[in-house]
Amino acid sequence: MKAATPKRTTETIVVGSRTLVISNDKKVLWPDDGYTKGDMIRYYRSVAEYILPHLRGRPLTLQRYPDGIDGESFFEKHAPRGLPDWIPTVEIPSDSGRHSGIDFIVCNDEPTLVWVANLAAIILHVWTSREDALDVPDFLFFDLDPYDGCTLATLAKVALGLRSTLAEIGLVPLVKSSGGSGLHIAIPLVPEYSYEIAKGFAELVARTLHERMPEMTTLQRVPAKRTFGTVYLDYVQVGRGKTLVAPFSLRARAKAPVSMPLDWAEVEAMSRKRSKETEGEFERFTMKNAPRLLAERGDLWSGRRWKEQRLEPALAKAQKRWRKDN
Amino acid sequence: MAHAIWSGAINFGLVTIPVKLQTAIRTNDLRFNFLHKKDEGRINNVRRCSVCGEEVAYAEIERGYEYEKGSYVTLSDDDFQRVNPEATQSVEIVQFVELSEINPMYFDKPYYLEPEKRGRHAYALLREALRKENKVGIARVVIRSREHLAALKPNGDALVLELMHFADEIVDQTTLEFPSQEKPSDSEMKVAKMLIDTMSEPFDAERFHDKYREEVLAMIEARAAGKEAPKAKTKAPVRDNVVNLMDVLQKSLEASKKQRGNGRAAQSKEEAKPKKTAARRKRSAA
Repeated sequence: MKAATPKRTTETIVVGSRTLVISNDKKVLWPDDGYTKGDMIRYYRSVAEYILPHLRGRPLTLQRYPDGIDGESFFEKHAPRGLPDWIPTVEIPSDSGRHSGIDFIVCNDEPTLVWVANLAAIILHVWTSREDALDVPDFLFFDLDPYDGCTLATLAKVALGLRSTLAEIGLVPLVKSSGGSGLHIAIPLVPEYSYEIAKGFAELVARTLHERMPEMTTLQRVPAKRTFGTVYLDYVQVGRGKTLVAPFSLRARAKAPVSMPLDWAEVEAMSRKRSKETEGEFERFTMKNAPRLLAERGDLWSGRRWKEQRLEPALAKAQKRWRKDN
Repeated sequence: MAHAIWSGAINFGLVTIPVKLQTAIRTNDLRFNFLHKKDEGRINNVRRCSVCGEEVAYAEIERGYEYEKGSYVTLSDDDFQRVNPEATQSVEIVQFVELSEINPMYFDKPYYLEPEKRGRHAYALLREALRKENKVGIARVVIRSREHLAALKPNGDALVLELMHFADEIVDQTTLEFPSQEKPSDSEMKVAKMLIDTMSEPFDAERFHDKYREEVLAMIEARAAGKEAPKAKTKAPVRDNVVNLMDVLQKSLEASKKQRGNGRAAQSKEEAKPKKTAARRKRSAA
């Protein structure tokens, strides 16, 4: 245990129209870096204008680290007790219908964001659909997860391969670092398609890409069966109730990396780099520098870039091109 | 020509068609010998008596049936001979039935019946008559000293003799748990039907291979040629998946579009509303 075990403290801060009680803000969550819960709350406040659009209206799952990143963590879907009545929730009936369902927090404003951060919720996971249409995703995504021995260049090449595969059928994807070792690639959708369709579409694209890059990619869900040096194309994260680490969410790793929206030019640059490992690259975006970087580059997943797209024309093109393509 | 299992005849009524019984199924199983790791010596099975410890010659061996723990009834070769059916070497047709009357689970193993020269005409007649009447013959036949129940079916230019199981060999379904009451809903059935339709195509047996055997063989060939075995390639037939996926998606998209077109989308939005209000019961003006 660290010598500096700070006394339990409480502090009252005013965020917007709300007054919040912050407990233990000196609690160190990133021991190697010395970052505290207070640092984390300041981070989330400073990026609030960027992260909130990605949280708004979406059922939120918290990944809480009450004892810091080296301690145990747990996922929290159900809004915890003590939830202030001004924080909205969305009730999702349970599948079995046996329990009363789960009340998910919906984080629509900065006070909620601070309240959540105060729970030591380092990682924020969001649904891919919004509360007014929970059955239709407004984006689908691929998780590109480098397996052992996968270099940064391989990861980047696979991401670019995915991008050009999508471009062939007229779709424009967005890319972000996962904050860990991989990349998340998303396609904003017109919220009209069922999860079933989105999922099938993701599988179609993943299989097509795997066919084209069989050496660099794997679709193998069991890690032990993956080939050394490949990227796992995870397309099974599309589904009702499945979540994505929100853009600008922190990760529970040393240096407090941030899941950062990227420009495709950055991915192109990565494909020419020689790093053996991918983490180093993504540790460039951290709790420390992300707010400043964001002020410069803005949210690359917003505005014009977040373009809701249709699947019918994409599938029609796929039918034409991919059916014969062998 | 392949070596026949026996030469005999098909008998029905007063008609006799001389035929040879021929194998129709090649077992493709790879056969391995057990070797001693150290020196690759073949492993012999030694028959050793558990009472006196002596090695026992085949001539000294008889068969015993354990009718209760530790107590045996022994049967000699003569005994078996006595109950052996007469090696009639004939296919005795006892009745004709419609093929569809026979639950396919009864079928076990097919053999070809190849006509002798002088039986060709009658053979063709029987084959065509069966085909035209859509019937198969039920027959008794003895193969390797055991009597079997069999069905005689026209198949291409051949008559196939398909050995059948006896009724008491089939496991009764009621001994296992199958859903009998569950009734899927119409909408579930619609979705299932759509999936089945998109994946329906003529059956082509050539498309399917015993991958395991092929890969083990490739490994053996490589080893025999002194090379390292090729890496196992257990890639799924991705192409088929992609094409199937596209078709399924196309149908789902069209179906959902149709739904929207019918104004059912509005309806489903209505359905979603109560959920939303329930969901927002905790909401107050923020």
